[in-house]
Amino acid sequence: MPRRLLSALLCLISLLATPLAAQEGPLQDLLQSQRALIEDSSRRTIGPAIDAIRDSGLDGAALVLEKWEAREMWQRESDGLFFYAEEVNRDTLHLYAFDGPTDLGEVPDEGFDQLKPNSGIRGLIASALVQFQLSDPDISRRRAALDALARDGNADHLPVLRAAIENEPDAAIRAQKERLERLLTIRFGATDAARIEAIAYFRGDLAVDVRAALNPILATRREVVAGEPPAGANIAAELTPGSETFPAEEAYGLLVSAGLAPARLTADAQRQALAANIVEGRVGGVPVAELSDPAARDRAYDALEAAGTVPAAATQSEVEAALAAHSFFDRYVEPSAAVTDAAEEALNSIELKLAVNQFIDLALDALSLASIYFLAAIGLAITFGVMGVINMAHGEFIMMGAYTGYVLQQLIPNYTVSILVAIPVAFAVTFAAGVAMERLVIRWLYSRPLETLLATFGISIALQQLAKNIFGTQARPLTSPGWLDGQLVINDIIGISWIRVAIFVLALVFLAIYLFIMQRTRLGLETRAVTQNPRMAASMGINPDRVNMLTFGLGSGIAGIAGVAIGLFAQVTSELGQGYIVQSFMTVVVGGVGNVWGTLAGATMIGFLQKGIEWLNPSNTLAAQTYMIIFIIIFIQFRPRGIIALKGRAAGD
Amino acid sequence: MSTLLEVSGVSVTFDGFRAINNLSFQIGEAELRAIIGPNGAGKTTFMDIVTGKTRPDEGRVIWGEKSVNLLKMNEAKIAQAGIGRKFQRPTVFEDQSVYDNLLMAVKNARGPLPVLFYKPTFKDRGKVEELASEIGLADELSRKSGELSHGQKQWLEIGMLLAQEPRLLLVDEPAAGMTLAEREHTTDLLVEAAKTRAVVVVEHDMEFVRRLNCKVTVLHEGSVLAEGSLDHVTANQQVIDVYLGR
Amino acid sequence: MKNSFIARNPSILIFLACLAVFTLVITLMSHAYGTGGISTSFVKTLGRTLCLCLVAIAMDLVWGYCGILSLGHFAFFGLGGYMVGMWLMYARTEIIVIESLANSPIPPTAQEVQDAIGTQIFGVVGSSEFPLIWSFAHSLTLQLLLVVLIPGVLALVFGWLAFRSRVTGVYLSILTQAMTLALSLYLFQNESGLRGNNGLSGLQNLPGVTAGQDAISVWFLWASALALGLGYLLAAWVVSGKFGSVVRGIRDDEARVRFLGYSVETYKLFIFTLTAIIAAVAGALYYPQAGIINPGEIAPIASIYLAVWVAIGGRGRLYGAVIGAAVVSLVSTWFTGGMVPALNLGFYRIDWVDWWLVLLGLSFVLVTLFAPKGIGGLFDLVGARMAPNRHGADYGPGKGSLREKEGQE
Repeated sequence: MPRRLLSALLCLISLLATPLAAQEGPLQDLLQSQRALIEDSSRRTIGPAIDAIRDSGLDGAALVLEKWEAREMWQRESDGLFFYAEEVNRDTLHLYAFDGPTDLGEVPDEGFDQLKPNSGIRGLIASALVQFQLSDPDISRRRAALDALARDGNADHLPVLRAAIENEPDAAIRAQKERLERLLTIRFGATDAARIEAIAYFRGDLAVDVRAALNPILATRREVVAGEPPAGANIAAELTPGSETFPAEEAYGLLVSAGLAPARLTADAQRQALAANIVEGRVGGVPVAELSDPAARDRAYDALEAAGTVPAAATQSEVEAALAAHSFFDRYVEPSAAVTDAAEEALNSIELKLAVNQFIDLALDALSLASIYFLAAIGLAITFGVMGVINMAHGEFIMMGAYTGYVLQQLIPNYTVSILVAIPVAFAVTFAAGVAMERLVIRWLYSRPLETLLATFGISIALQQLAKNIFGTQARPLTSPGWLDGQLVINDIIGISWIRVAIFVLALVFLAIYLFIMQRTRLGLETRAVTQNPRMAASMGINPDRVNMLTFGLGSGIAGIAGVAIGLFAQVTSELGQGYIVQSFMTVVVGGVGNVWGTLAGATMIGFLQKGIEWLNPSNTLAAQTYMIIFIIIFIQFRPRGIIALKGRAAGD
Repeated sequence: MSTLLEVSGVSVTFDGFRAINNLSFQIGEAELRAIIGPNGAGKTTFMDIVTGKTRPDEGRVIWGEKSVNLLKMNEAKIAQAGIGRKFQRPTVFEDQSVYDNLLMAVKNARGPLPVLFYKPTFKDRGKVEELASEIGLADELSRKSGELSHGQKQWLEIGMLLAQEPRLLLVDEPAAGMTLAEREHTTDLLVEAAKTRAVVVVEHDMEFVRRLNCKVTVLHEGSVLAEGSLDHVTANQQVIDVYLGR
Repeated sequence: MKNSFIARNPSILIFLACLAVFTLVITLMSHAYGTGGISTSFVKTLGRTLCLCLVAIAMDLVWGYCGILSLGHFAFFGLGGYMVGMWLMYARTEIIVIESLANSPIPPTAQEVQDAIGTQIFGVVGSSEFPLIWSFAHSLTLQLLLVVLIPGVLALVFGWLAFRSRVTGVYLSILTQAMTLALSLYLFQNESGLRGNNGLSGLQNLPGVTAGQDAISVWFLWASALALGLGYLLAAWVVSGKFGSVVRGIRDDEARVRFLGYSVETYKLFIFTLTAIIAAVAGALYYPQAGIINPGEIAPIASIYLAVWVAIGGRGRLYGAVIGAAVVSLVSTWFTGGMVPALNLGFYRIDWVDWWLVLLGLSFVLVTLFAPKGIGGLFDLVGARMAPNRHGADYGPGKGSLREKEGQE
């Protein structure tokens, strides 16, 4: 007390003596009133000083706290007045006053002490500042303050936040504040009832932060005590040693680490103990040569134990007795059972909704995969289904389309234009390649499907190696235009990238084009006629050669366009097509030959199946493919001619 | 005369088209029967059903004294049970010799292992030679069957059928594309065969049917229109309507 | 009867004689037993080629004779290799582990030895436990039994499923390809218990054999030649006589065979399984000479190459398959080994390491188009075999039936 008096006196004297008396004002007065606490600068005692500044209602209070926190507050030794300052250089300060005309110009730093609050104090100051930031006129600062609170809010922020809700002018930020208030209440609410109420508020809310707030409440600690578990403890589950989820070894390990039981003897420790006690070729009277037998080792160790040379190890019966004498349980870190129950209930309601949304997300993924398979397979379905020709080089046509896209991107710098150009050009290139292949090879092998398969395989390996020789083995990027970047986000769970949406649309467009060509054009009519009865069609004046050539070109051309689409999300390599060929065959086979709806059904089934299996077994996409193929082999058992099969005598042979 | 094959109430639909409509048919042992009918009457589908190639939507097909249900058996089992079939187009194994073709057909164990360890016995060889002379191919035994004339292939196929020793022979248009002399030989073969077993001949050619001189069943739109001697059925007004398409 | 079988097929004697002479010549030129004119690695290449010829015979049996274009026989080949590789790897690691543990003060227990082997073998995939499928790896007899059993049972189950549902032609080919892909993807996983994409390695060392690689390579050459000879005899015996008649009948007209009372599915299954076992035996001899096996060997493309060999050699005749496999695989080694001088066109230098596959692919198309009988067809120019003139029509409606050109002289 005398010291405080003295300092007040000193202060008075200094005030009188100061040449800068003009800096006095309400803020300086306030600071001076808390001077002792500020100078003391201890985390334990500083609280009232910060509170006084915060609650003063003065305009500059936030400024004081900010400068203090930023270690830019200085105190003049002579009179103890507080200023804030910027260090111009090592010896010079640009001084500002908190009140009145503020800019005091540059002064030498001699006679000024910098206030250096430690991190604890700065934390307190920051908390106090939140109140000002939350009501800051600048909307971006309010938003930043809310973000900071959402990251690491603490109990102190709760009343501040509540106070800041009332006068919030912006509806969105107000909602954000209210939501944050509920989240903080879950963690720091004063009473269990308040917390439970806050928990109930979030039922069915999918946001990640809600789960982040709820999950810690349900955190458990595995404990062991002698006898019964303590009464009143918030126990999540009692554990039975030796059960499937809690093996006896783990239970005993818990006892050992809790210091309640001696460690068991591991085989390793036993061997080392024996090796350390070899005396004249014998251990505990047992010859070393016999020690390859575990029973002999036990005998030797028992002998050593009896002689007292090694520590006693717990035997099986001791272990069992110890396990029986203790109870094992998982205890919630949160003491209140009511809160944990509420949290569990809320999480369950969220889980359910989450599962539904995840399912929708998965379905969207599957749909996009299905449209990729559809695009890759439709060309094959035309050549395989309509013409009965199997084209092993189909995958290489896809690759050819992708490389066409790549080359065009090298020539046309604008990605949007290059992609739009690539689609028709890729079609043209692969159409030409397909027609050439049909004229030169396949034409001679009609009605010899197995030979066609092998001949086209020869073309496939030649084309693949050719691509390798031209473009090299490294992957070439096919960059998508900017407007295809990013995702279509529906909520926190459901989102799908624009590229996949574009591919889905492309697949629909191709379905429409295919149906149009087949149902509404002369070529389609002729193709269907040739498919059903080539001889009859020929005698009706249709030239089957021409129809076959055009059909094959069409199928190949679509493969080229599929290549451009696939290249957008996969790396373009010479092996690009290979990855899709088997899936494409599967799509056609599962769907049923000679029917575009079959291909659609097949692609959908395979897409959904693959995603479904990946979801069941997310760690292992290789296994997913294995299971899918096995499923397809079994599926063929029940529908050998695919989902949509031609019936009747026409299908017989 | 006991019934060998009884087909009753059989129907088959292909994509909404009723190829066989509530068809019933019976044949006894050692009987020769001709089935006639316009195109699309269901003659070939009928044979497909009896031999197990096509499964009917409804109806029963009962075989032999033990009344075996043929619908539960596959083609090979039905063939082993004693039903032989000759296709419209001659189908012999052209890459193989006449001898091999006949030997393959000779009635013997059909499982893979007995066949793998099979050695042609004296009896089997005798049988092949006997059949070959019966169908007039005794001199062609070592030739590849692909080199035979069309008629010879038809006979070879009939010979293969006989080698199977079936109790029922289903013959689809045996005379198609044959010369007059060849037809006569074919008729003789079939009539001779029908002395010891049932033979069903599907035929378009009325002349050929007349020469067979047997009971005739007329099929129309998947069911039996008329049955009886050839003169009887050709006098039937309905049959005349169907054939002449009045 | 045996005499008449060989007498009816003089090509068998010629083939066996050629094989014996070949083996003798190579032995006499090897490092271990002869002049040393041929390097040990080339002896191994030749030994491996004999195994490839054996699997080509299996392929010819199933495709050329039975008309099933299986794109899965290299999977059985690989499985056979894996089965024998498991024993080789286990036994060799066991010897190494016992040697290293012999220096420890306390003799190791059986369990300790087992654990140490497990750590050695499965360390690369971050495990030390023996998966269940290694249960028999300690025993050569059992593992050799598995060489036959595992591929045999797999072929039996797959074939039963496929043939039962009357999947034929191209469908069946695609289905077998899918099976191969599924198998190789499965083996690529670490969880499969066969060391994932690392595969099995060090298979060239025979456990407990002190002889050098130069001697071992010749032993394997002998074993491969013996297996090829026996395989050829077996295949020739199977396709001669009535069984061969039925099988070729299935190829040319499946339905007709069925109406003759033969259970086509059973025959196909028999041939499919038998050839799978032949392929597995070939694989079991091949991989110890290769030294390493990994799932990449089983990839569908390998099985397609197998079909390519048989087609180039001439399907439907056993020596054609052997010639195709030998010629294509040796020429392939020659080209890809960089031993062929590059062709300088002035504006472009054709480096055969890069262009060999293009050449192979194109020549394969040409063979399919212009020489469906393959290399084996040349022999018909010498012999005087008559084939029926079909005026362009095929031998049968079956998807795998012979083409007229193939049957012709």
